[in-house]
Amino acid sequence: MLTKFETKSARVKGLSFHPKRPWILASLHNGVIQLWDYRMCTLIDKFDEHDGPVRGIDFHKQQPLFVSGGDDYKIKVWNYKLRRCLFTLLGHLDYIRTTFFHHDYPWILSASDDQTIRIWNWQSRTCVCVLTGHNHYVMCAQFHPSEDLVVSASLDQTVRVWDISGLRKKNLSPGAVENDVRGISGVDLFGASDAVVKHVLEGHDRGVNWAAFHPTMPLIVSGADDRQVKIWRMNESKAWELDTCRGHYNNVSCAVFHPRQELILSNSEDKSIRVWDMSKRTGVQTFRRDHDRFWVLGAHPNLNLFAAGHDSGMLVFKLERERPAYAVYGNMLYYVKDRFLRQLDFNSSKDTAVMQLRSGSKFPVFSMSYNPAENAVLLCTRATNLENSTYDLYSIPKESDSQNPDAPEGKRSSGLTAVWVARNRFAVLDRMHSLLIKNLKNEIVKKVQVPSCEEIFYAGTGSLLLRDADGVTLFDVQQKRSLATVKIAKVKYVVWSADTSHVALLAKHGESLLHHDSIMICNRKLESLCNIHENIRVKSGAWDESGVFIYTTSNHIKYALTSGDHGIIRTLDLPIYVTRVRGNSVYCLDRECRPRVLTIDPTEYRFKLALVNRKYEEVLHMVRNAKLVGQSIIAYLQKKGYPEVALHFVKDEKTRFSLALECGNIEVALEAAKALDERSCWERLGEAALLQGHHQVVEMCYQRTKNFDKLTFLYLITGNLAKLRKMMKIAEIRKDMSGHYQGALYLGDVSERVRILKNCGQKSLAYLTAATHGMDEEAEALKESFDLEKETIPEVDPKAQLLQPPPPINPLDTNWPLLTVSKGFFEGAIAAKGKAGQMAADLDMEAPGGEGWGEDAELQLDEGEGGVGPSVGRLSGWDDRSVGRSLDMPSGGGGGAEDGFFVPPTKGMSPTQTWCNNSQLPVDHVLAGSFETATRLLHDQVGVVNFGPYKALFMQTLSRGRTCYLGLPSLPCLRGHPQRNWKDAGAKQGLPAVGLRLSDLIARLQQCYQLTTSGRFEEGVERFRAILLSVPLLVVDNKQEIAEAQQLITICREYIVGLTMETERKKLPKDTLDQQKRLCEMAAYFTHCNLQPVHMVLVLRTALNLFFKLRNFKTAASFARRLLELGPKPEVAQQTRKILAACEKTLTDAHQLNYDPHNPFDLCAASYVPLYRGRPVEKCPLSGACYCPTYKGQVCRVTQATEIGKDVIGLRVSPLQFR
Amino acid sequence: MAAQQTDVDELFDVKNAYYIGSYQQCINEAQKVKPSTPEKEVERDMFLYRAYIAQRKYAVVLDDIKPSSSPELQAVRMFAEYRSSDNKSMAMSIQVLLNLDRVDMARKELKKMQDQDEDATLTQLATAWVNIAVGGEKLQDAYYIFQEMSDKYSSTLLLLNGQAACYMAQNRWEEAEGVLQEALDKDSSHPETLINLIVLTQHLGKAPEVTNRYLSQLKDAHRTHPFLKDYLTKENEFDRLVMQYAPTATA
Repeated sequence: MLTKFETKSARVKGLSFHPKRPWILASLHNGVIQLWDYRMCTLIDKFDEHDGPVRGIDFHKQQPLFVSGGDDYKIKVWNYKLRRCLFTLLGHLDYIRTTFFHHDYPWILSASDDQTIRIWNWQSRTCVCVLTGHNHYVMCAQFHPSEDLVVSASLDQTVRVWDISGLRKKNLSPGAVENDVRGISGVDLFGASDAVVKHVLEGHDRGVNWAAFHPTMPLIVSGADDRQVKIWRMNESKAWELDTCRGHYNNVSCAVFHPRQELILSNSEDKSIRVWDMSKRTGVQTFRRDHDRFWVLGAHPNLNLFAAGHDSGMLVFKLERERPAYAVYGNMLYYVKDRFLRQLDFNSSKDTAVMQLRSGSKFPVFSMSYNPAENAVLLCTRATNLENSTYDLYSIPKESDSQNPDAPEGKRSSGLTAVWVARNRFAVLDRMHSLLIKNLKNEIVKKVQVPSCEEIFYAGTGSLLLRDADGVTLFDVQQKRSLATVKIAKVKYVVWSADTSHVALLAKHGESLLHHDSIMICNRKLESLCNIHENIRVKSGAWDESGVFIYTTSNHIKYALTSGDHGIIRTLDLPIYVTRVRGNSVYCLDRECRPRVLTIDPTEYRFKLALVNRKYEEVLHMVRNAKLVGQSIIAYLQKKGYPEVALHFVKDEKTRFSLALECGNIEVALEAAKALDERSCWERLGEAALLQGHHQVVEMCYQRTKNFDKLTFLYLITGNLAKLRKMMKIAEIRKDMSGHYQGALYLGDVSERVRILKNCGQKSLAYLTAATHGMDEEAEALKESFDLEKETIPEVDPKAQLLQPPPPINPLDTNWPLLTVSKGFFEGAIAAKGKAGQMAADLDMEAPGGEGWGEDAELQLDEGEGGVGPSVGRLSGWDDRSVGRSLDMPSGGGGGAEDGFFVPPTKGMSPTQTWCNNSQLPVDHVLAGSFETATRLLHDQVGVVNFGPYKALFMQTLSRGRTCYLGLPSLPCLRGHPQRNWKDAGAKQGLPAVGLRLSDLIARLQQCYQLTTSGRFEEGVERFRAILLSVPLLVVDNKQEIAEAQQLITICREYIVGLTMETERKKLPKDTLDQQKRLCEMAAYFTHCNLQPVHMVLVLRTALNLFFKLRNFKTAASFARRLLELGPKPEVAQQTRKILAACEKTLTDAHQLNYDPHNPFDLCAASYVPLYRGRPVEKCPLSGACYCPTYKGQVCRVTQATEIGKDVIGLRVSPLQFR
Repeated sequence: MAAQQTDVDELFDVKNAYYIGSYQQCINEAQKVKPSTPEKEVERDMFLYRAYIAQRKYAVVLDDIKPSSSPELQAVRMFAEYRSSDNKSMAMSIQVLLNLDRVDMARKELKKMQDQDEDATLTQLATAWVNIAVGGEKLQDAYYIFQEMSDKYSSTLLLLNGQAACYMAQNRWEEAEGVLQEALDKDSSHPETLINLIVLTQHLGKAPEVTNRYLSQLKDAHRTHPFLKDYLTKENEFDRLVMQYAPTATA
């Protein structure tokens, strides 16, 4: 039993769930009716009008109404929206025990100690029927959920079923009139009653306190003072007792059917709630309180929720957890549903049952731990008594029929929780508070005492989180020691981020009003990064890719950044359990264990995350492109110190102005100030601008606010004498004497000062000023005006000096150097972004340079291939060497161990030897480092006699044969042997992974073609040759590929012959006619090499030009026609047609050449003469190039490695060729 | 908290860092830890100096360990002097046996180690080595061992190259690339990483220039590395062998 919510109050006598909202009504013994939100755990309202205990309480299913009945004999109907009692129904003559609305009709059913049951119409507010028959208090009366029946329970020891179809017909049929002749008693003139007793159920030995119908079946449950719960069955004609549930040892107060399961719940004055299995009639759960007698039970009509009222309050509870057991690994979700382990592929949404669970536990699976390495699961089951909890270890069957999956035998042991800690180890917390480390056979391999540990959680490989009363500890299982601890009570769930760098601890505190849940996010060292409180249940959570924790509460999906920022993403109707978050999708399981995907808008938290991580470009992008507006985000930005970002959102000028000032953006502030044009704005702007040295704006502000003093001073310090003088004039006009004087002082204008002093009657000062500063005339004039009798002429201080402000060197027109800091991060980031863009552009411009570098690299390659190494012979392969070296060490140490003798083990068969034994393909021998056999194979198969060109290929191939891994420190590394048949190689059948693919070689052709196109023939030939020589080092799987490999050789040969001949031709002299004829012949032969059309076009153009020049028009015309057939570019075609036309005028050849286009021939690759068909010819065994017989035995010009005319086995590149 | 602290190895971090090849961390840990007994102190120092030796900082060891130091440390000093190990551990036997291609004997030796303490770091590592040599399905097990250790502690060049060797043995070249890239990021001139990259780049079908670049790097930084010595030997062998062949006729 899981308590969701508890209240403390006076005795609770009545309870009613709201059908839709998370509300419950509790009627109390002290006359108060409470309306609670059990999800938020808050008291919504209180209704206190009854005098004395309120026992009957019921929500209306559709209207915002509820009904109550009390010991004041009153039935009250309330509207909770209006928060008041609408009316009171009077009529009962004693306590009212229960009051219920009819699910459909506008009726209220009440049961009373006055021994009657009454039916009221709450629309007409009258009693429509009185059911009499019980001869003691009626404790309970309820409508049938679908039929015209009422069940009642009374202290007269009977349960009665009443038929009220008569009442319905009378009152609710069209034209029915209430309160007609029959009157309130419900008995008409003919003695027919509206409500008649249908069945009287006798069986209880004491008064019956409660009776209720089953929601769907013809069953009744009752609870009585004889401490029994009875189940009754009825049909049209009779009703009988089915069974009795015995167990309560005091009066049973209430009994109800579980709305969805075959269960009965009852509670009693024996302070217990009991759950009974309906079919077995046995108690399955008991829940006791220490001091409180239970009085009433309520069942939620739709959810798995119940409520029970007792002496000091009530509780809302459910019978079992609805949280599915699940585990996520990679793209897979594993979860338990209906005794099946199911697997959901997040990517393909494929949901399959992979295994059937062993039955035998009445409790659902509590939690799951999945082991991807072994494809095994641990399923933990919690019993009511924790000590009886068990876990099952299952190996998931590899292949399974989803329709009817296997039910593999698991291993069951007792233990509270079992969690994987390594691929072949798991930890079990047992009831003795020991931590057992077990292997895959479920055997204990290690035992650690953890006395105060209450629960364990996964914490990455080799670690666990241990929970005790006041904290969570990261525990290293191998070292058996604590690594870190964090103080947080009652952690229920633990969610690690994918890289286990962060963990979210979900804790649950209390069930009462003081309840709150909390989320603490810690790093790997369990240092708390933030703590979030929720006054509502936190259900589940998962980390998204960007490191944001997404969690669900009972009614929201929310996010939390590790910085502690959190907020709501969306609302939920019903609780869900998040399994994974990817992008906009939240994958979850609902309470029915259905996998669901919900879409969320991640903008807000992504935005905040970008801010926290100072990814300003991202922020800016989102500001510009996302619909991120609203006061909240502005307030957030301001609060978090990003006013400059907020500035981008704000339209309101006032806010804009404040924000601009806050981030020191004077331009924006000025704009806003102009729009607002308020004195206070200008003042604030002036101050801010002055701080930044933006004196032009300062000037404008002072002007706007008419702050003459400050303006004057500003002009002084900026050396703007003209404006300073103007200010003095303005002061004079404004009759601001002191301002005027100050201006004169600033300007060093002595005569003006004298004038001012004189004008304001400061004669002595005027005189002194004039006298001191050598204005003698003026001084004299003033002296004259003194009345010597009354006034004394002041003494002139001989040491007096003229106070003259230093003259400005240059008036300051521009601003002072501005403080750049005040620009703020954000603008800074934008500026930086601009720069980065330029840098990127620079890089692009440098790209051609990169190509040049690439050429260098290629050159290196060529050198490497042709490279010559030191030539010192050595017989042993490298296997021997490395072994020899490592043997040195143990031989000394091992000697002492074995009775003074040490017999070194003989060398085993190395994988490389195996490779040689298993294959006749040259490359396998090269990879194995067996050059001797490799060269022999190449010699025998394709006639290689000159291995020079193969050296680079051999060394390269060899270097990819074996990998490296480090053993003990300071020792030479161990070598791995990648094998192409690694899955089924075993110890003897191994063959090396080749690492050279036909497709790669074919791809390399493109490069060669490009070199050809760009006329770099020698380089091209090198590359073609490298490809050609690599072909014998291939391994292919099928005949198709064997053919392709041979075709590849042919292509290379044709190009090598053609390009080499062309290179040769270009070197030849062309002075004499014979020499020119030879050049033409070679050009003509080139057109018979099998080339790509794009190259053939070029070859034909050359031949065409040469033959045209030689006036061999006839042959030239044939080249022109061949050229046109290839569909060259328009301009080429046009030119060709012109030449062709010219040729066709005189279709003759001026000179006789050794070239007959109509007589098929092979070209001698050494002498470049045609070998017409039928003439003797020798061929290269690898390339197939043709030669005059005189060249037999020489090295092939094409391969530069093979012997012309050599008798060989032939190319071998596949094991197929040996069968 | 709850666990018994009595059987905790106070030098665990020191040793562990040493075993997984994280020598600097070993040194750091050793300097941090405060041993409870003089014996532990000596033990700590042994690991400290061996880590220095692994880093080739022999001078530190030779200077620090005086003739008056404990006999254990004298041994370490000798180790530094001769750069040869007196380590008689079974792990070394296993490594030697593997080098001898005696997988069968290595397995027996491993069984002994596992009987002693299957979960010990060194046992786990040795298991991985043997698994790589056995091949087939065992490769994945070996991979998990390396993966687990890097999860548990931190990824090191030793662990990453181990993982790479497993991947490559399973022909999972793309995955190996990621691991080796990580290793390369940690130390761009680590010889074993470079050797593995020489293997890998070819199997990935990369241009020969790429492979040659790693080879050049290796030649630059580790001229005396066994791989290069072997390489040179094989070049010489090649040159000698091909002298046996010649064309029948010359032009």
